[in-house]
Amino acid sequence: MENNDRVTHHSDHYEGHRSKQLDRRKYADGADVCIVGAGAAGGVLAYELAKAGLAVVVIEAGPFWNPQTDFASDELSTRRLAWQDTRLVDGAHPLKLGYNNSGRGVGGGTVHFTGVFLRFHESDFMTKSMDGVGEDWPIRYEDLEPYYDKIEREIAVSGPDHFPWGPFNGPYPYPVREPISANAQLFREACEKLGIDSVVAPLAILSAPFDGRPPCINRGFCNQGCMPNAKYSGLIHHIPKAIGLGAEVLSDCMVTQVLTDGDRVTGVLFVHDGQTYEQKARVVILAGFVVETPRLLLHSATPHFPDGLANSSGWVGRAIMPHSSHDVYGILQEEVRLYKGTPVLALTQHFYETDRERGFARGYTLSAHGARPVGMASAIAAERADGTMLWGSALRQAMLDYNFYARVTLVGEVLPHPDNRVTLAEEKDEYGMPRAKVTFSYQENDLKLIDHAVVQMKRIIEAMGGRPAHVVSDTAHLMGGCRMGNDPRTSVVDQFGRSHDIPNLYIVGASTFVTSGGANPTNTVMALAARTADHLIDAMRQRDV
Amino acid sequence: MAESSHYPSYDVWAEHREWDEHTRKIVAKRRSPDVAHRFLTPKEAVTLQTAASLLVDDIRLDVLTYITQHVDETLASPVGEDQRKVGVPEKQTLYRQGLRGLDETSEAEHRALFAALPKEQQLDVLTRIETGQVKPSGAWAQVPAKEFFKKMLHDVVSAYYSHPLIWSEIGYGGPAYPRGYIRVEKGLVDPWEAKQDGK
Ligand SMILES: Cc1cc2nc3c(=O)[nH]c(=O)nc-3n(C[C@H](O)[C@H](O)[C@H](O)COP(=O)(O)OP(=O)(O)OC[C@H]3O[C@@H](n4cnc5c(N)ncnc54)[C@H](O)[C@@H]3O)c2cc1C
Ligand code: SF4
Repeated sequence: MENNDRVTHHSDHYEGHRSKQLDRRKYADGADVCIVGAGAAGGVLAYELAKAGLAVVVIEAGPFWNPQTDFASDELSTRRLAWQDTRLVDGAHPLKLGYNNSGRGVGGGTVHFTGVFLRFHESDFMTKSMDGVGEDWPIRYEDLEPYYDKIEREIAVSGPDHFPWGPFNGPYPYPVREPISANAQLFREACEKLGIDSVVAPLAILSAPFDGRPPCINRGFCNQGCMPNAKYSGLIHHIPKAIGLGAEVLSDCMVTQVLTDGDRVTGVLFVHDGQTYEQKARVVILAGFVVETPRLLLHSATPHFPDGLANSSGWVGRAIMPHSSHDVYGILQEEVRLYKGTPVLALTQHFYETDRERGFARGYTLSAHGARPVGMASAIAAERADGTMLWGSALRQAMLDYNFYARVTLVGEVLPHPDNRVTLAEEKDEYGMPRAKVTFSYQENDLKLIDHAVVQMKRIIEAMGGRPAHVVSDTAHLMGGCRMGNDPRTSVVDQFGRSHDIPNLYIVGASTFVTSGGANPTNTVMALAARTADHLIDAMRQRDV
Repeated sequence: MAESSHYPSYDVWAEHREWDEHTRKIVAKRRSPDVAHRFLTPKEAVTLQTAASLLVDDIRLDVLTYITQHVDETLASPVGEDQRKVGVPEKQTLYRQGLRGLDETSEAEHRALFAALPKEQQLDVLTRIETGQVKPSGAWAQVPAKEFFKKMLHDVVSAYYSHPLIWSEIGYGGPAYPRGYIRVEKGLVDPWEAKQDGK
């Protein structure tokens, strides 16, 4: 791996490359900032804060991956890139976690994400005032706009010259991807027939060389970790750069508690190889994603904070949201070969904004979406939208036509509901921490949106000349659980991610989302993180933390 | 729906020298699976393999052996199971009881162990478990039949479609690094990809 040198002295074990001795940590006596979680948000913060000269330690539960020896062009063996620790799931629509939405290891979810890189629209930040649903964010699109610009430039997002929806209409920093896969071509042709605008997807995937990395070779395994390093991940971009600027990254280190003294946090406890260590810091930033951040806050309760840290509102863990993500597989006369090319190369946001005629609020994005055999077969077998299962000769025969399928996937807005939440279960994990219990049920608006989208996806398949054959019920991404807001009684953090209750405790990442939007979230995750970084650098200079 | 492969002469493994070493090792292992198991008893392994054969509609021993080995590995591994529904026991208990339940339902309905039944009756037993139409006694008093079926189906199908023989059959291009794909657009194929015979 290219960045080995930079990490040699700064991180714990990575066979042959790093010091195994955590006692010789760089900031063993205390850091300015300790970031828990080296994912999308944690990576951006580590980089920005280290660049500003702060002493930064990032503590990451999972490994420091080496793309060449840890990733593979294979579905089954790369499920381990995900957070596989058991979580209990409950509710009317129990979530599929693990590989489906949770990363674990340096880079977090970006290591196996699909790389679709979209901005939220203006309306996403004010669903309550515009549509009377959800909740308004404490910020507006304009507050994030400069950070979207910055992040997109910084990682050379490729995309179309003209993007027809929302406030940002292009052009993107890097040229649009070319050529696109057969599935994406068919999708775009079908959309055109139906009078639906579509574009080649904006992607955090290179269309030309950048920063020593090559363009995409269309191998199609983005969800298994990109081996040529054409796809952005925190692992190959922000984290190595942060290390180069002096940050220390401790991988394979699970944070089990946030430490407090009176009204402030003082650092964290983490476990490495069965041993517990303490990391002190002036500021602690939790960037552990939607399930683990609330779990850690709830588990860190003290007599002073009996309901968990930063939880005087009772909102820690509440209002988590996935995106609804049904798939329609359609069978065509000609070969499509869903395995080829970057999985998502075309999409439409034609149905993004609220249209009252449809009978529900908010909207969605539809994407042309590739599929590999394990993902497709296990989904059409055991995740069918009608609740039936497909097996035996029916499954075998369906899969013999694998190359003749096209697929369209939904990314649908799910409205926040306080009962969709992360709590602590009785059962303990290997660290003695209570397992997370994740409860989720779609509400009426969510289900109406899904029904509408499935009809449109079927129309698109039909316009391709195909026949809708399998509808799969799925979700993607997770957001919320520590939402931001102006009112400390109904939110956990302020607009910069600073917790209302504890001035030197910050929360960043997908967990601070107020609503889910109807678009893939990571551009917004990273833009928010960059905004927090600016704020924090200022605040720390002014000794305001 | 197809009754047989569109690509009878395609062999994805023939390209394995083009694959990166890590991937090659992973796939090679599937071609010569272990027959020794760490979690499953020999009897459980037979029951599972019999069920797997029906779930994927295939009787080729090398593929089935790999499926059983994969499930056994999952069960013996301390790695978590991503998520588990409240009320559903841990994967080890779910399989142990579920496989016992397969035999119990077989004996109750057809008076023989699952593996000993003729195919029609085996299919009947699996359908009962799939739809939860089983007597809520014995194993099924302890584990939900449908949840067991769903988990087993998911695991078995995931393993089956990871086997290079099956990749060849469905015309999947398989591992693609460092080579990637050049011809990705409609109607185009790279020279090493599966071609329908006669085309
Ligand atoms: C299969 C898949 C496809 C996706 N596709 C897209 C896409 O196309 N476009 C898009 O915009 N988004 C996509 N996403 C979503 C994207 O990955 C997330 O939005 C993003 O990674 C969230 O960033 P985060 O920083 O909040 O959390 P993460 O990136 O998940 O990072 C959290 C990190 O914290 C670590 N951690 C948690 N708890 C602890 C602890 N106690 N101690 C130490 N470390 C801890 C975790 O190991 C993890 O590395 C996809 C996700 C998946 C899984
Ligand atoms: S399709 Fe492109 S970006 Fe995705 S894994 Fe392959 S080379 Fe990387």
